[in-house]
Amino acid sequence: MITLAIVLTGLGSYIMRAFFIFALARYTFPPTLLRALEFVAPTVMAALVISMMTTPEGELVAGPPEALGLICAAVTAKLTGNHILSLAAGMISFWLLGWVL
Amino acid sequence: MNASLDSPALRGSLDALPLFIPAIPFAFVFGVVVANAGIPQWLGWSSSPIIFGGAIQVTLLTLIGEGASVAAAVSAALIVGARHMLYSVTLAPRFQHQPSWFRWVGSYVLIDQVFVLSQIKPIDDPHDFRRYFLSAGFTFWSLWMICTALGVVLGPAIPPEWRVEFAAPVLFVSLMMASSDRRDKLGAAALAMGLAYLLAAMPNRSGILVAVVVSVMTMLFAQKVRPA
Repeated sequence: MITLAIVLTGLGSYIMRAFFIFALARYTFPPTLLRALEFVAPTVMAALVISMMTTPEGELVAGPPEALGLICAAVTAKLTGNHILSLAAGMISFWLLGWVL
Repeated sequence: MNASLDSPALRGSLDALPLFIPAIPFAFVFGVVVANAGIPQWLGWSSSPIIFGGAIQVTLLTLIGEGASVAAAVSAALIVGARHMLYSVTLAPRFQHQPSWFRWVGSYVLIDQVFVLSQIKPIDDPHDFRRYFLSAGFTFWSLWMICTALGVVLGPAIPPEWRVEFAAPVLFVSLMMASSDRRDKLGAAALAMGLAYLLAAMPNRSGILVAVVVSVMTMLFAQKVRPA
């Protein structure tokens, strides 16, 4: 049963990824749609961050250390464009404030 | 083939490496989930090559461990992964000038990080795009296979009080900033954050998808009202 669940989920997630790539292979994209698609990456990332910081019941689980970590990471990313630096800034400030409090 | 520093294949691998670091604690979280589900380690790990998607795998095996039915667990896991359809639409224009084998293989490695890399570094030449995409994708894939195997075997070895799993939202904030190269994109991201919070209690994290769709449409509408 577990094998079946894994295989079905694998198939389903592959189809979700491949579907539009195949379905729209010969489709001419209207400019409005192309402009809309530019917003997909930033908005999905934003929504994922919030989903990781909330419980399935919708409660925020972030305190001051998490908030500081995310802000430091965002600022570092904007200034340097370097994900390693940004990760380091986010984690170190998160650990430091968590240790101080 | 010459592997100069400018080669798209090498750049793809190098760009994937820093993005993989936050996936390491996640691989250990996955290991704990497999242990808690009480299923054979190899069977839990097999979801890595078969599904290849961290959050989807964790959702599926958590629910199975809780005794959910196959139908319930599979549908919840697929809803969690539904954002990949948006990636598929967004990348469809880039896959138009590609051979069909690449559509088959590229779809398999279309995950969050590979998608964002392809958006942050738009490569116009189809051949270079293909090499960059596959190289980033399969670098990530190989590391995920190794780390989830380690995660399953070593399980809860990392002390939970380190909170290393916080690396995941930190990376996604960083990717959000990198993909917001215009003010309106940053505005869209802020709107999506607010909506995702308001909708956080929707079942199976489906609020993510609604937040994205609504904020993208709002930005389009705003562009119509006040063209940039």
